[in-house]
Amino acid sequence: MSRNLNSAFFLLVIFGMPLVLLIAKKEVFSVDEKRKLATIPEFNYTTYLSGKWAKGVDDYIDDHFPFRNSFIQGASVFHASKGFMLENAEKVVVIPKRAKKIAKASTEEEAAAMKFLDDFEEEYSGSMLIIDGCVYPMGGGSPKMSKSFSKMVSEYAEELKGETRVFSAVAPLSSAFIPVEKYRKYNEQNQRTLAAIGSSLSNGALFCDVFTELNKHVDKKLYFGTDHHWKPIGAYYAYVAFCKTAGFAPVPLDKMDKKVKYNFVGTMYQHTRDPSVKANPDTMEYWVPKVETSAVRYGEYGFNKYTNTKVFHHGCSGGNTYSTFLGGDAPLIRIKTGVKNGKKAVVIKNSMGNAFSVFLVSHYQEIWVVDFRYSKQNLIELIRANNINDMIFAVGMYAAMSNGTINMMRNLAKQHGVYIPKPASPTTNDSIITIQEPADTLN
Amino acid sequence: MVFSSLTFLYFFLPLSLIFHYASRNNLYRNIALTIFSLIFYAWAEPMWIYLMIFTAMFDYGMGIFIENNRGSAKAKLGVTLSVIVNLSLLVAYKYGGFIYDNISMIGPLPFDRPTNTLPVGISFYTFMVISYVVDVYRGDVKAQRNPINFLMFISLFQHLVAGPIVRYSQLSEQVNRRTIDWNRISQGVTRFSIGLFKKVVIANVAGALVDKYMVTELYNLSSYEGWFGIAMFSIQLYFDFSGYSDMAIGLAKLFGFDFDENFKNPYAAISVADFYRRWHISLGRFFRDYVYIPLGGNRKFQNRNILIVWFLTGLWHGASWNFALWGTYFGVLMVIEKYSKKVLDRTPRFLKHSYTLVLIVFSRAIFYFVDFDQMTYFIGNLFVSDNPINPGFLTDLTSHVYWLILVLILCIPWDEIYTAESSTRLKWTARYAYVQPAVNLALILLSTLLLVNSTFNPFLYTRF
Repeated sequence: MSRNLNSAFFLLVIFGMPLVLLIAKKEVFSVDEKRKLATIPEFNYTTYLSGKWAKGVDDYIDDHFPFRNSFIQGASVFHASKGFMLENAEKVVVIPKRAKKIAKASTEEEAAAMKFLDDFEEEYSGSMLIIDGCVYPMGGGSPKMSKSFSKMVSEYAEELKGETRVFSAVAPLSSAFIPVEKYRKYNEQNQRTLAAIGSSLSNGALFCDVFTELNKHVDKKLYFGTDHHWKPIGAYYAYVAFCKTAGFAPVPLDKMDKKVKYNFVGTMYQHTRDPSVKANPDTMEYWVPKVETSAVRYGEYGFNKYTNTKVFHHGCSGGNTYSTFLGGDAPLIRIKTGVKNGKKAVVIKNSMGNAFSVFLVSHYQEIWVVDFRYSKQNLIELIRANNINDMIFAVGMYAAMSNGTINMMRNLAKQHGVYIPKPASPTTNDSIITIQEPADTLN
Repeated sequence: MVFSSLTFLYFFLPLSLIFHYASRNNLYRNIALTIFSLIFYAWAEPMWIYLMIFTAMFDYGMGIFIENNRGSAKAKLGVTLSVIVNLSLLVAYKYGGFIYDNISMIGPLPFDRPTNTLPVGISFYTFMVISYVVDVYRGDVKAQRNPINFLMFISLFQHLVAGPIVRYSQLSEQVNRRTIDWNRISQGVTRFSIGLFKKVVIANVAGALVDKYMVTELYNLSSYEGWFGIAMFSIQLYFDFSGYSDMAIGLAKLFGFDFDENFKNPYAAISVADFYRRWHISLGRFFRDYVYIPLGGNRKFQNRNILIVWFLTGLWHGASWNFALWGTYFGVLMVIEKYSKKVLDRTPRFLKHSYTLVLIVFSRAIFYFVDFDQMTYFIGNLFVSDNPINPGFLTDLTSHVYWLILVLILCIPWDEIYTAESSTRLKWTARYAYVQPAVNLALILLSTLLLVNSTFNPFLYTRF
């Protein structure tokens, strides 16, 4: 009897759940997660062989699993029940490493938001501290690891000596600015890590002291609480640090147009699932330089094709709010500005660099923004063919602390993807995806 | 595909059960299982299925060739050729990049580094086919004459990607005829539920702490936190792999197969040698029967044989020198234990147990870090560290304390303390039978709870 019941329960569950999934009405959008749920993936030879179809099926089942929200809530209860919290202790959520989700994006903004999620999943795992609805990673890098990053930057400086200035502008983690005294250790740890980058750069590579500049403004909220990126104000102070090193006068905030977006709940909520984070959405104030700009991005449709884009995507909102800057991550973006000084820069970045790069339009006639994770271009060729004056590594600290991401940056000098020397005037229909948008004119 | 995924549990498994049990004809069932096993294997990496099928068909042919020429030089040639081809494929696909890196340290090579990803399960199925042809050559088993049956034996989804390394002699009869009853299915359900729980509720939770204490915060750890991290990795590794083995054994029972045990309370071991009699038993048996004994075993050059076997065991786990070092570490410990037998025999049991645990947990550092700089830093930091304890450490401990207690309880060898004849065990087994269906249901639902919104749960041993 017991044996039969044992088997019966099991069979009931494993046969019942898929039946419910097949019968139940499918939602297309998750309000909680602010994202479109996966659709049934397209099956063809290419998607099958690449494993994308199978991954798509996994994602579809995961996204439409019966009682999904209840299960997710149940998982939160389980995680909270693994132990107890000390009195007055802040809440800590341990995030495991996760794989990338492959889902279809129907708009450029959605695609950008998904990349941010990838970005998060690649770099952020371990304990996250939650204080007053704000999430902070519990860490601050280490001087030892930072030397690998410095070595890579210095290799570029050696290669480009006399041709291009090479800058390192690494963002600290938000843990540096936790507003609770007992976590001050993380502030010092971030400082030590980033200072070690500066002290171990060689071959004339230049160090932008981003930490010191941000640390002067700890009274302000420099990072999002619900997302793993810095706020535009944090990126602005990094820009100020860069200007000090590069010999530019930073444009004051009041000389730019200020805009505001509300109700941003980002990646940190999606991964911690903590109700206090959801109940504490971020407000994003951002500043738009009064400079005429136009931009194209390469890579989404092949590296010899480009789409018109903008520097600021003011329409981004909700979970995609951070995509306001450059429309999110793209392998390669070329920005042209109304600044007719002939100066050119290339920014090597992950998503932290997006909010930083937009401030550079006041100082360069042309800016190339290279996402080291996706770009297939040979960086040295790109710099030499375009006579680029300044090269800036603007990345978040995790990217500078991992051999994997450091090697990705190093490999930019070695890879041989298709390079497009003079792209901005398309002549044939097959070389451009025509998404015509007006240039970002702000005057 | 992995067992601990919603796709497997709620779609692949029910469908494979429906198709398998749609007919009582054994050949039909074998064909259904083979097709489902190939779908399982090809789920994420379809390109490697050809390699697996080639290996199976090649060794199917070699098995018949060897049997047809038993006792002649042709049989010897056949088994030699089979071993060379199988090991060559393993070396090419698993160790190609590693060999390239090491040779290119001496001087540049005129060709690019191989960039193959590791075909899933190649380390496991290669050893299975080698053991098959050698057993046929030795006359221990009859060659399988039906290619479908042989392909099914190699590709059975229950063991394909992370073992156990099933010997053909274990399954030869079951391939041709299986007994299936509700008692066996119920045992399979229980075993599978426990395995899934071990993977999802224990190993994955430990894994998140490992990410923190051995990756993210590697260079900021105090010694205490270092030991905590390495203990978490020991927990993750055991519950991940033994959970997988439990699921494999349980799933095998659902389809009428019996796999041998692959773990027997390893953390209750009282010596390093004892530990490896309890850990990944099928791998240990393979090396014993096909490497150690042919080298001379205990009869001649025993120390050399032990060191060779453990060096190879280490390299089997991965194409990196840290694995070779890890294997050698155990080889040396085995040799030392051999000479210390009299001392160990007189040592109190709890001391032997403690000594074994410390050495095993310590070995995880060698096993974990492929990067030697990170490894030496981490190991040094275990003993001498300037870093203060991180503010979040106590929180991590208290917020996992009930879970840690559960882990400790699950590591206790209850079945050794209360043996099958024990009256206490008999009494509790009878009582437990009433609640077992509900407990198993709870384990499945709890695991599902944690699998939703967490689609990727690779098992550590699928990468070896």
